[in-house]
Amino acid sequence: MANRLRTRQALGATLLASAVVLGFGAPALAQQNDAITVVQEQEPDTLDPCELTKKNVGMVIRENIVETVTEINQQTGKVDPRLAESWSTIDDTTWRFKLRPGVKFHDGKPLNAAAFIQAFKRMMDPNLSCSNRVLYFEGMGVDLTAVDDLTVDVKTPQPSPIMPVLMSMVGIESPATDAHTLVRNPVGTGPYRLVEWASGRSITTERNPDYWGEKPQVGKVTYVFREEPAVRAAMVANGEADISPVIAPQDATNKDTDHSYLNSETVRLRFDIGKPPLDDIRVREAINYALDRQAMLGTVFSASWQPAKNMVMPTINGYNDAVPFWPYDPDKARALIAEARAAGVPVDNEILLIVNNGSPGGTEAPTVMIEMLKDAGLNVRLQILESAEFYKFFYKPFGDGQPANILFESHDNNSGDAGFTLVGKYASWGGTSKLNDAEVDSEIKRGLAATDPERGEIFRDVFKKVHDMAVDAVLYHQTTDTRIGPRITYTPTAATNQELQISQIQFK
Amino acid sequence: MARYVLRRALQSLYAVLMLLLIVFAMTRLTGDPTNQYLPLSASPQARADFAALHGFNDPYYVQFIHYVSDLAHGDFGQSLFKQRPAMEVALEAFPITLTLAFFTMSIALVLSIVLGSLAAMRPNGLFDRMISPLTIFTASAPTFWVALVAIFVFAMMLGWVPTSGMGTPVHWILPVCVLVLTPLGVLTQVVRSSMVSSLSAPYAKTALAKGASDARVVFVHALRNSLLPLITIAGVQATGLVNGAVVIETIFGFPGIGKVMIDSIRDRDFSLTIACILLAAVVVYAMNVAIDIMYARLDPRVQIGGEARR
Repeated sequence: MANRLRTRQALGATLLASAVVLGFGAPALAQQNDAITVVQEQEPDTLDPCELTKKNVGMVIRENIVETVTEINQQTGKVDPRLAESWSTIDDTTWRFKLRPGVKFHDGKPLNAAAFIQAFKRMMDPNLSCSNRVLYFEGMGVDLTAVDDLTVDVKTPQPSPIMPVLMSMVGIESPATDAHTLVRNPVGTGPYRLVEWASGRSITTERNPDYWGEKPQVGKVTYVFREEPAVRAAMVANGEADISPVIAPQDATNKDTDHSYLNSETVRLRFDIGKPPLDDIRVREAINYALDRQAMLGTVFSASWQPAKNMVMPTINGYNDAVPFWPYDPDKARALIAEARAAGVPVDNEILLIVNNGSPGGTEAPTVMIEMLKDAGLNVRLQILESAEFYKFFYKPFGDGQPANILFESHDNNSGDAGFTLVGKYASWGGTSKLNDAEVDSEIKRGLAATDPERGEIFRDVFKKVHDMAVDAVLYHQTTDTRIGPRITYTPTAATNQELQISQIQFK
Repeated sequence: MARYVLRRALQSLYAVLMLLLIVFAMTRLTGDPTNQYLPLSASPQARADFAALHGFNDPYYVQFIHYVSDLAHGDFGQSLFKQRPAMEVALEAFPITLTLAFFTMSIALVLSIVLGSLAAMRPNGLFDRMISPLTIFTASAPTFWVALVAIFVFAMMLGWVPTSGMGTPVHWILPVCVLVLTPLGVLTQVVRSSMVSSLSAPYAKTALAKGASDARVVFVHALRNSLLPLITIAGVQATGLVNGAVVIETIFGFPGIGKVMIDSIRDRDFSLTIACILLAAVVVYAMNVAIDIMYARLDPRVQIGGEARR
């Protein structure tokens, strides 16, 4: 036994010694000249083109490996061509898309009308859990027909004025793609093609030499995954990675490498507008006046966030700049609550402030907000819930017995059009809407059926109306911090936390 | 011995089945994964379809019967999020955790025996007084914090090692060194205290009186008797590591079983959670058998597989 132990001891000592020696000799990881490393928060679950609107998937494949039919220009908010060269309306319910000629998939097959239709049908297959369908096309009854080899008619039962916007969510993959399962090896037309996915470790892509468009500068990309934001920031600082699209605000301390940008997420307090005392507009207005939005920036929320007045970013079609900010006016808030109390509104009824654990602002932000609301004379209690419980309050059907609540939520719209937001948040049929107002409903419906410029006008009116009704307390547009290493230049846009177009990255 | 291993295997099978039942029930209690999986703006119809497709609407006992019958065919189910067989995902991650655990425990055992014995040779001597606070610190310092400080110092300030990742052997140094600290601290304390009592035993004194060197008395005579508590505690520590060094795996980007398990729990990816737990359970049982056998080897009074002479 003693012998055996001595052997093990020696072995252990050798291992340790070699570890230490290796450690001292470790150089910083050198990068190949035209290769870059991207460090992301989480590894994607699949790389299927029909999931490219999912953040983790989109970051790797969207417009890199798989291209979409159209593309939203993040600077202008307009729809740009991508795989479709042009589009036009044939009649009220039909759009005609003309595909770009001479485009080939990575496997050599040509891009044509048949490939587009096959990819679209695959996305619409209910046996595949494609988030692109679930998010944007479920129940729409879209019908595609080939007019010629490069022309496709897209027909819907109802007029769909934003079909070109929706087509920016549709990626076209090779017709050889497995129709029955989500794939891990997407074959698209993009400027990059997949080389290897070493599960749990990294994904590697390389430049597609046969790309139809301009040749990008970056030749090879390695994606690695680190959940801890401090580690992601450290990797870029240390030269182990060139870009981390998302780092924590507290780590964004270097002005030369760290950039903050509006990320298309907006946060609000949603009021349970049907239940007393929140059914009284004075109470809802009082909450808006009671919140000191400026004071919470840089204290409980990131200093780079911007106060918001609409539930969409300023670049989105339908944003109404004429909607006023709610000023911080605690006296007015107290007066409104007192007035409501005098009129018999049960303002002393307990209201829950529902927050999902892990929301930005942690427990501090809701605690601060509750103090402000208590100061106005309301009886609010904090309820921090784990996701499964939170969703019971967030989504319809809302349980009958749910107590009156205010819910802190974050909403993302980088589609270029306010339609999704207005339906989801303010229409009576919206999945997370508490509002049930016939006038708002009919305006939203009218807007959805209209094209610009009328569409934008109607949406602006709806934003004004919901503001005047104090349906919610819109709080802030969120920002994301990104760290970009010294070797490359890249300008982050609102889409950078959803997609990272490698072709837009250049070496210094 | 073979009979003993077989009997333990049968006992373990029963325990694993009970574990399966409990874990299955507990995963289901955490709620329907539909909302977790579908995007925020999915329609109620899409939610209902999704739940129906995956059987989340069925009564729990129906879901359990389906699961067990699939299991009997060697099918551990499909990971909802990764859209791959759950066991495939678990088996891919497990070797990484086992390798981490192996290096960590090997280093911790060797170092703790050396440090603990040296400290025990002169209780309250200079070395002992240095080692004790140090090991108490390493045993109690939060791994999360130590890991971040280690990255800052050794990767960013000194540049000796990369911050994270597992590409080359160099990448393993920092995570293993951080991971070793807790078991090293605990085990050194254990070795020290059991060695102190062994060295005061009559046989050690006799050996010294007969002129044996200090080193010989410690490492040849007393060590063997001090190993029993060490193995018990080391077994507990190793079990923890095999279940996944979640914090280390997360910070350093090691795709081990702990990280997979935590992610699967967060995502309500039931099949994957169960596959990971079953896999870890089997290994833990195997380790317990191994520890029992080691006990018998070290201490002739312990006999396995039959009637122990107590």
